[in-house]
Amino acid sequence: MRALCWNGINDLRVETVADPGIVNPHDVILRVTMSTTCGSDLHFIDGYIPTMREGDVIGHEFMGEVVDVGRDVKKVKKGDRVVVPSFICCGNCWYCQHDLYSLCDNTNPKAELQEPLLGYPTAGIYGYTHAFGGYAGAHAQYVRVPHADTDCFLVPEGLKDEQVIFLSDAVPTGYMGADFCNIHPGDTVAVWGCGGVGLMAMKSAFLLGAGRVIGIDRFPERLRMAREKVGAETIDYSRVDSVLDMLKELTGGRGPDACIDAVGMEAHGTGAEYAYDRAKQALHLHSDRGEALRQAIRACRKGGTLSILGVYGVMDKFPIGVIMNKGLTVRTAQQHGQKYLPLLLEHVAKGQLDPSFLATHRFSLEDAPRGYEMFKKKQDGCVRAVFLPN
Amino acid sequence: MADKPQESSAPRSPRATRAAPPRGPSPEWEGRDIETAGVREDRDVEPRGGRATAAGASPGIVEQFASAVLGGALLSIGLGRRSLGGAALALAGGGLLFRSFGGQGHGPILEEPRFDTDRGPYEPEVVAGPRVLERSITIQKPASELYRAWRLAENLTKVMGHFADVTTAGPDVQHWRVQGPLGRSLEWDSHIVEEHPGEFLRWESLKGADVPNDGWVRFRPAPGDWGTVVTLRFRFDPPGGVIGDAVVKLLGAVPDTLASKALRRFKSLVETGEIPTTVPNPAARGGGHSY
Ligand SMILES: NC(=O)c1ccc[n+]([C@@H]2O[C@H](COP(=O)([O-])OP(=O)(O)OC[C@H]3O[C@@H](n4cnc5c(N)ncnc54)[C@H](O)[C@@H]3O)[C@@H](O)[C@H]2O)c1
Ligand SMILES: [Zn+2]
Ligand SMILES: [Zn+2]
Repeated sequence: MRALCWNGINDLRVETVADPGIVNPHDVILRVTMSTTCGSDLHFIDGYIPTMREGDVIGHEFMGEVVDVGRDVKKVKKGDRVVVPSFICCGNCWYCQHDLYSLCDNTNPKAELQEPLLGYPTAGIYGYTHAFGGYAGAHAQYVRVPHADTDCFLVPEGLKDEQVIFLSDAVPTGYMGADFCNIHPGDTVAVWGCGGVGLMAMKSAFLLGAGRVIGIDRFPERLRMAREKVGAETIDYSRVDSVLDMLKELTGGRGPDACIDAVGMEAHGTGAEYAYDRAKQALHLHSDRGEALRQAIRACRKGGTLSILGVYGVMDKFPIGVIMNKGLTVRTAQQHGQKYLPLLLEHVAKGQLDPSFLATHRFSLEDAPRGYEMFKKKQDGCVRAVFLPN
Repeated sequence: MADKPQESSAPRSPRATRAAPPRGPSPEWEGRDIETAGVREDRDVEPRGGRATAAGASPGIVEQFASAVLGGALLSIGLGRRSLGGAALALAGGGLLFRSFGGQGHGPILEEPRFDTDRGPYEPEVVAGPRVLERSITIQKPASELYRAWRLAENLTKVMGHFADVTTAGPDVQHWRVQGPLGRSLEWDSHIVEEHPGEFLRWESLKGADVPNDGWVRFRPAPGDWGTVVTLRFRFDPPGGVIGDAVVKLLGAVPDTLASKALRRFKSLVETGEIPTTVPNPAARGGGHSY
């Protein structure tokens, strides 16, 4: 089959690889009908996340049609049209049983790569480094999905692929980030980053009862989406002297009740701290640029909630004392998609949520490297590039 | 191998074929709840009689080590690959060990044992000793069920699959075959020497083993809704002399992560009915496949 493969920093190629087959009894094979780019991919494409190997098939946000079914799969059937969260989860371990799916104990076959850093391994991910299991990704004609009964969600009839594809990753991530904020009716939530994840966090904050949502970014088309598609207020951080002051003024001097980081380790910035981070990251002395996260920590009201969705490595210059003195609650995780998908599919089916506007650009699989290029450089207003592998 | 019924909790009489004279129950087996583990400190700090000891172990280590235990840390019990020729201080009780850094100072090992290279120039000075690997894992199943699963020959074969071909060689006798470098392999038969159904199982290699070894697995209730704590221990005791050196080289095939990986595989098998794997996996190398 054809698949999009990582071959080194900024080197993606579509190549011919073996077809996947059923390996374990709870596996299914999907014919991928649509897959999409995610900001998380940029971190390893740019070389900031280790344990990729040349030739790895990438892609973790996808949907498709079931074409082969393992012997112990009970619910999922051949021909089912399903969407699959990006984390592979067993459904049986203590973590899965407690809705902490991305912490699953049983799906990372290369646990020993993660243990030295994290202490304990997490769940595996499709196409996302060997530390996360080394599973082949979904920018391919076919993909193997383990633990299908836990991880495949039937798509209600009448919904288009574009309406559903982002339920694999961007939507549950954003929703979880808003859920972390313990929103009371009328609360103000500020979101750093108006990419797919940030936009979905903003939409979810409204669904969960926020009174005001403020989106922060510098790309006009993304800020426009935040206003027009989500109903948020926006701040272009490149055009204001101080995001902190802006947020203070917008909230009567109190600060937002909750702040969500949907930016991650490659934050762009304007000040001296950004220059420091950039220099260190370029020298590989540390892996993170934390401008957005530090700003969110300062801007949050006393006793408020900091919800971190952006992916980070082991960051230095992390102002834990600010968090401590302000009594902030910090919530963070990789997405627990399996917890949220039934509800989110219902929202989409009822028309309360339509994430399809994120799909700004469509490509065949053969053109996927160009899709990633546009997504990474945010050319032509690209928010998410979707691929049609078949 | 038959699934052992649960009715008797008395140690089974030793098999006639066993190599060593019968012994009493091993000190590792106690019918205690895991919650009492915090009381272990005085047991853990005593060196086990007769074991090789590391040169220059300071008493402070023992305290550090005990506090790590009390802090609930999972301890890595592996000795470095070359530490078969290296020294270990075995601590009594749960069989807790720490690795000698011969002259480099000591510390509790709270992560995977490091590889050979960081032993540096100190390695050749240390005395030969056994290699012990011990780890614990928590599994969402009752102890009785886990014990029964462990006793199923087909499960053991799967769980050890990353390390050895384990086949049934008779009632309660398993044949182990570990692939070493250059096409050579290490083989032995092992048999059960002590069992307390639902709680504890111990085995030993029979006479003629390429590497004499023994091991045990223990099942104790975990707190709250966590299920059961399973502790697995292997001990490899290569013979001395020239033959011993050759075996030590071959045993390079025993990974430092043997116990933790075996436990992880067992956990996944019993919790989910399968062991996670990416073999085979599509990729643009290895002829279209990789893992
Ligand atoms: N927790 C999870 O499970 C999970 C899942 C998916 C993605 N993520 C992470 O979420 C983050 C966002 O993902 P995405 O797909 O939306 O990425 P994206 O690259 O599409 O969007 C990131 C946005 O952040 C903006 N940004 C950069 N610096 C900023 C700053 N200083 N202030 C405000 N905005 C800034 C960029 O302009 C961009 O629009 C990434 O780090 C990604 O790895 C996490
Ligand atoms: Zn993602
Ligand atoms: Zn699980």
